[in-house]
Formats: sequence, C-alpha cells, structure tokens
Amino acid sequence: MPGIDECLMEAMALPGARGASLVDWTSGLALGTAGDSPVGDHETTAAETAELARSAAEFDSFTSAGDPDAGGAGAEDGPPVEDLIVTTRAGYHVLRFVETSFDSSVFLHLWLDRDSGNLALARLRLRDLAERLVLG
Amino acid sequence: MSAVATPVSPMLVRLAAEKATGALLRDHGTLYLVDGRVVHAESPAAPGLDVLLTTGGRLPREGWDEAVDRAGAHRAVGRFLVDSGRLHDGELEICHLGAVFDAAFFALSPTSGPTRFRYGVGHWFGTVRPVSAEAVERETVRRRELLDAVWPYDSVDTAPVVPRPAAPGQTMGARQRALLAAADGVLTPADLARLLGRPAFHTLLDVRRLAAAGLVETPLDPEPVPPPPPPALLPVLPVADPDIALLRRLRDALEAHL
Repeated sequence: MPGIDECLMEAMALPGARGASLVDWTSGLALGTAGDSPVGDHETTAAETAELARSAAEFDSFTSAGDPDAGGAGAEDGPPVEDLIVTTRAGYHVLRFVETSFDSSVFLHLWLDRDSGNLALARLRLRDLAERLVLG
Repeated sequence: MSAVATPVSPMLVRLAAEKATGALLRDHGTLYLVDGRVVHAESPAAPGLDVLLTTGGRLPREGWDEAVDRAGAHRAVGRFLVDSGRLHDGELEICHLGAVFDAAFFALSPTSGPTRFRYGVGHWFGTVRPVSAEAVERETVRRRELLDAVWPYDSVDTAPVVPRPAAPGQTMGARQRALLAAADGVLTPADLARLLGRPAFHTLLDVRRLAAAGLVETPLDPEPVPPPPPPALLPVLPVADPDIALLRRLRDALEAHL
C-alpha cells in the first residue's frame, strides 16, 4: 500500500530511470519528485509535462476511444488516455495517468535514459504503480 | 529553484525559519505549521477534504463523520481514514496535498487585514505529508502568474459563470464540459468547485481558460465611473425651465434704454 514517495522510489528502481514525479495536470503542481529533472528543476518540468498531459487528456481525438458516439464522455473503466510516450535523442518520457475515485487530474512522469532504459518494462511497471498508488 | 522575490507572507517566512508550530490566521484562510512546515490549510474559498472526498462518492458522508468523531480529538483523522481501510495512502496524500495547496493559495491571497499566529494550535486532521513553507509560497506565486497568463481578467474569478455558445467546431475537454454543464449563470467558480467536488483553484483556472476561449462571459470590471475633470471655467449650467417672465422683463428693460 504505497504512498507517493514509495511509488516514486519504485519507479526510480527501473533500469535507466533518471527522474520521476507525480504531477497534477490541471495546475502543473508536482505532488512529489525523485531523482533529477532534465532541466534541473522539477517544478519547471512538472509545469511543462502537465501542459502535454492536459492536451492529451482533453482533446476528443484521444479521449473518444475510437467510438464516434462516445464523444469522450465515457470514464467508467480506466482513464480514457492511459499513457503518453515522448522519445527524445537521449531519453524517453513516459506519462501515465492515475485514476482516482475522487475528482483529480494526476499522472506519473518517468524520465528514462535512452540507452539503459527499457521502455516496454517501464510502461508496464508504471501502469502497475499507478493502480497501486490509489488502490493499495 | 528560484527564490520568491517578494514573500507572499513575511510572517510565514519568519515562522518557517524559527520552525514554529501553530496556526497562521489570515483574512482568507489559515495555514497550520508543524516545525515550520505546512501540514494543513483551510480557506472558506476552497472546498475542504470532506467535500472533495464525499462529492464524487469516494467516501460516504457517514464514513467521514465517523472518522472525525473517532480520531478528531487525537488530531489523527487522516491516519484513521487509512488505518480503518477507508482510504489508501496514495489517495489520501494526493487528495490532501491538493487541498492544502488549494486552500493555501486563497489563504495567502493579498490582504490588508491582520495576520496572527497562534503558537501550539494544531489541526484535527493531523499530519499527512508536510510541505516546506517556501514551496507553498512559490506555488502560490506561480498560480497567480498562471491565472494571469491564461486570461488576465480576474473579474471572472468571483462573478457567476455565464456560458457562451461555442463557435462551430470548437471543442473542449471533458472536465471543462462538466464545468460548463453545471454553470447555470448564477453559480460562481467557488460554488461550482464545491458542487463538483474539485479544488477551487482548478475551477478558477478552468474558468479563465474557458473565458479565454470565449466560452464563458468575461464581465466588465465594475470600475467606478471616473469623476469628470474639474472644469477650467465655470460651467454653463443647463437650465431646465428658463424663467420666461424674467427674460421678458430683461428684454423690455434693455429695449427701454435704446
């Protein structure tokens, strides 16, 4: 039954992990951080990743789940958008949405080294962590 | 990283430095400190944890009330919610941190009123995840700047939210749709936050974003009408009802001198 810090520590234990944080995408607030930030400042990274997450979470093209009739309204099982992956020359960024049963807008952000990181493993582990963070 | 140039509250900076424990009372809310770190915050402008947790159905109201009854006296309601299996650690931390930064934003809003500190006073909710006073100040400043960067008209913050028709093809996110659906032209952003069980700042920010997109009315500031500049010469007073009889007598008197 991990809290935010345990969750981020587990994320940092993944191969190639350089930084991890839990961020609110409406406000851009970092609720918790571990490791490094690509720009040396976790708060800046939180605000920037939050803008990216917000776009994905709000645009109908991503949230309508391929069903033109759903119109992005369905939020019954799982977040409409599960994760985002940004590949850069030197690394990967995985943003995993966390679903809570009270109103919130948070995601886990993991920054991985491109050479030593394992993107597939990181995605699976983040999905697991995002669930355990709120379901225990 | 960057230090706060002008502290939001000089007293908070001082209390953090002396690692004080107690309650910082301001016009728009209260911050609770333990050893100089912020452990809780409350503001009448921001929905409390009870609203955030019960509105969406995460906790039944009775579950919350029972936790307050049983653990409030020991200042351990948060702990009790987790230990009794009502909430998970992560949920409690996410919800509580969100509520603390939310209430702190309003509690630290500019005020001319008095700021007092009551040493030793704690909050019944108890400590969950203390935050440095500096982080709270920095976030509060960042939030003010963010609001103004989105749409620099603070009149939308307190006015009733009045939706405007979307332009053809204009879309919005699900959260904003829910906000607009609840906006009846009477409720203010703070009312909507309480109704939807969302942090008040998040609602303000969404209202500003919607206003910037033209989907919510931006009321004109009720600025006082500026007084007319003092006239350089005596003004000609408008005469509503000229005294015709007096004018005739004047004319007659003048003609008599011709």
